[in-house]
Amino acid sequence: MKRIMAFAMSIILCLFMFIGCSSKTEDETTPDTTSPSETTTESATETLPEGVLSNEEATLSIYAQYSDDDTKVPYDYAVEQLKTAYPNVTLNLEVQAQDDGQKLMTYAATGNLPDIYQVALAQIENFKQSGNIMVLNDVAEATGFKDKVFESAQNILYNEDGNIYAFPYAGNEYVMWYYNKAIFEKYNVEVPKTFDELLTAIDTFNSNGITPMAIFGSEGWITSAMFDVLATRWDAGGIAKLDNGEGSATEDAYVNAAKMMNTLVKAGMFQGSAPTTNYDQASQMFLNGEAAMFLNGQWYMTDATTALGQDVDWMYYPSYDEASYEAGKTAWSGGGAAAGYAVNPDSKHAQLAAEVAAFLSEKYCEAKVMYRGTPLVALDVDVEPQTEFPAMMQKLQADLPGITSITKFDWHLSNATFKTALEDQTKYLLVKDYTPEEVIKELDNSLN
Amino acid sequence: MKKFYSNKLAIVLFAFPALLVFTVMVFYPIVQAFVKSFYEWNGLGSGTFIGFDNYTKLFGDTVFKLSNKNALIFALVITVFQMTLASIFALVVSNKKVKGRNFLRVAYFIPVVLSVTVVCQLWLAILNADTGLLNAIFKALGINYEQNWLSDRHHAIYVIAFVNAWQWMGYQFALMMAGIKSIPNDYYEAARIDGASTLQAHSKVTIPLLKETYKICLTISLTGGVKAFTEMFIMTKGGPGNATYTLTYLMYKAAFREYRYGYGMASASILVIQCLVIILVINWLFRDKEDRRESRWSKKTGQVK
Repeated sequence: MKRIMAFAMSIILCLFMFIGCSSKTEDETTPDTTSPSETTTESATETLPEGVLSNEEATLSIYAQYSDDDTKVPYDYAVEQLKTAYPNVTLNLEVQAQDDGQKLMTYAATGNLPDIYQVALAQIENFKQSGNIMVLNDVAEATGFKDKVFESAQNILYNEDGNIYAFPYAGNEYVMWYYNKAIFEKYNVEVPKTFDELLTAIDTFNSNGITPMAIFGSEGWITSAMFDVLATRWDAGGIAKLDNGEGSATEDAYVNAAKMMNTLVKAGMFQGSAPTTNYDQASQMFLNGEAAMFLNGQWYMTDATTALGQDVDWMYYPSYDEASYEAGKTAWSGGGAAAGYAVNPDSKHAQLAAEVAAFLSEKYCEAKVMYRGTPLVALDVDVEPQTEFPAMMQKLQADLPGITSITKFDWHLSNATFKTALEDQTKYLLVKDYTPEEVIKELDNSLN
Repeated sequence: MKKFYSNKLAIVLFAFPALLVFTVMVFYPIVQAFVKSFYEWNGLGSGTFIGFDNYTKLFGDTVFKLSNKNALIFALVITVFQMTLASIFALVVSNKKVKGRNFLRVAYFIPVVLSVTVVCQLWLAILNADTGLLNAIFKALGINYEQNWLSDRHHAIYVIAFVNAWQWMGYQFALMMAGIKSIPNDYYEAARIDGASTLQAHSKVTIPLLKETYKICLTISLTGGVKAFTEMFIMTKGGPGNATYTLTYLMYKAAFREYRYGYGMASASILVIQCLVIILVINWLFRDKEDRRESRWSKKTGQVK
């Protein structure tokens, strides 16, 4: 009897376990945004709008950023436009996680990539090797996307191997050195042109209880940007040169940049808690007038103008002497990369998804110009901004034609090992007792 | 019952579900981690077999050495802090003469039920060099000891270890309280009849009888310390620089930030081995007298008793 009982109980236990582990039946399953696609019905052939190549009906899954106005506004606008141009397409959005691309990697590893997904350069390199990303050369040609890309943004359309793997929407962007004009005027501080003048300004601000520059040092990209800004004063190639394998971290430009950053930190340029300060905290310090300067991308102009009005402006990066300061006005830190909307080659509607990806990227550009106050987009779109660009943007726009060199943002670096080392080591530079020599040694190791 | 245990089929059937789950969810991934540690692998595809290259690189990596040092510091700090304070608090609270025992019992355990993220954010606010409570207290008291608590490359690891120790001390306290409660009152009565003071009763009765509890506490805190990750991920992101890296953080960096999954798996394999060694050493240190006698006997006679 006991044997029968034991056997019966074991069977029941196993059954419960399998029931618990099993997935829902198809009838119960709610729409799954991660599955490649759902419906496939060919509709009757009819005349297609210009640039639209397919009228196949489909629901496409899309993995995209949708967290703040800068990402929500363009997405919503693009989806609205899609309804008119592609009434046969429905998008299922899955909001991108801020997780260094781990979720996307997991999807790729398990064969569950969405039909369309936003991708960074480092992931493109990985996905290329594993065949998880579609080559979009033909679609870029057929949809006319290629012809709309600004001449100055050709570098962000093509991958190193000459192929197109993603439809970009952001153009080349820039690291801006913002400053609060009112604070500078109040303490009679001139906009620094040289590092010596910058050190004097730091001293003045510190003695008056003002943080010279607020930095969100908990994020590695901004400390990397600071290092890059300084390095470009000696070598316009900046960190891009190292990433491209065209230079060594032991070169004078990088050694000098590390030493200068260390000098500025020791002089008290940043707040004491800089290594653990996040973006919101640092930005608040600048917008509240607790800090005189702030480093961020040009996308910050709208927010800064809204909060500080005419009191905020940007300055050219200070340099080691006046001559190099003048010469360096055309060498900028920042840039773009061949990244944007990519397509899963195993999608049931790969061709249609590629068309839609190109369409979305174009509409993102329109939305950014019209509603986000930035002309720095990848495509030449025929739209007008709803409101005038901020004065700072107009000033930058006037400088754009004269820009002779641009580097890379940290997230556009293709060498992931170098990128990680750069983030870690430049964060270390915010610590007074870490030496520039240690930074250079570790950066050099990461490149070898 | 004896007959039941002799039924091999029943044993297999009852153990099967748990074994299956353990194999699929724990054993297989660990084996996979060991296997992939011999590959150059980016997380996609099958990778390339490179033998011991990942291990060779790992042992030459300065961050690996730093991570091990940090793990050791972290483990020692939390072990000493948690076990010492938990023992004292448990002994005090177990004394029926102490007033407010129930309140203290709850108060010591509250940090355990809080989310790690909440605790880390709380301590981030307290430890902030510019606006933090701790520096403000020093300033208010006129003590010139304001610090960049989390930005000091040499001391940040101690501060983070303290935060972990503060949060999980209550867990060890609860284990010890349970251990103390399971000791029969007769032993204390006998000690009292023999004229033992409270201190003597605890040193001769309570602590020796809590041996198994201490073994569990030591295992939890040492292995927990070696594989620490969450606090540094939230509070310092391994920084400043890589000053608060541990092996787990190194694994995270290699796999998820650099897409060097093979290297990350090598780091994870070393971590698993370290935890196993710690458990073996603790088991060996806490062997019963009887076990030791048995082992001596088998050594002498070559037989098992």
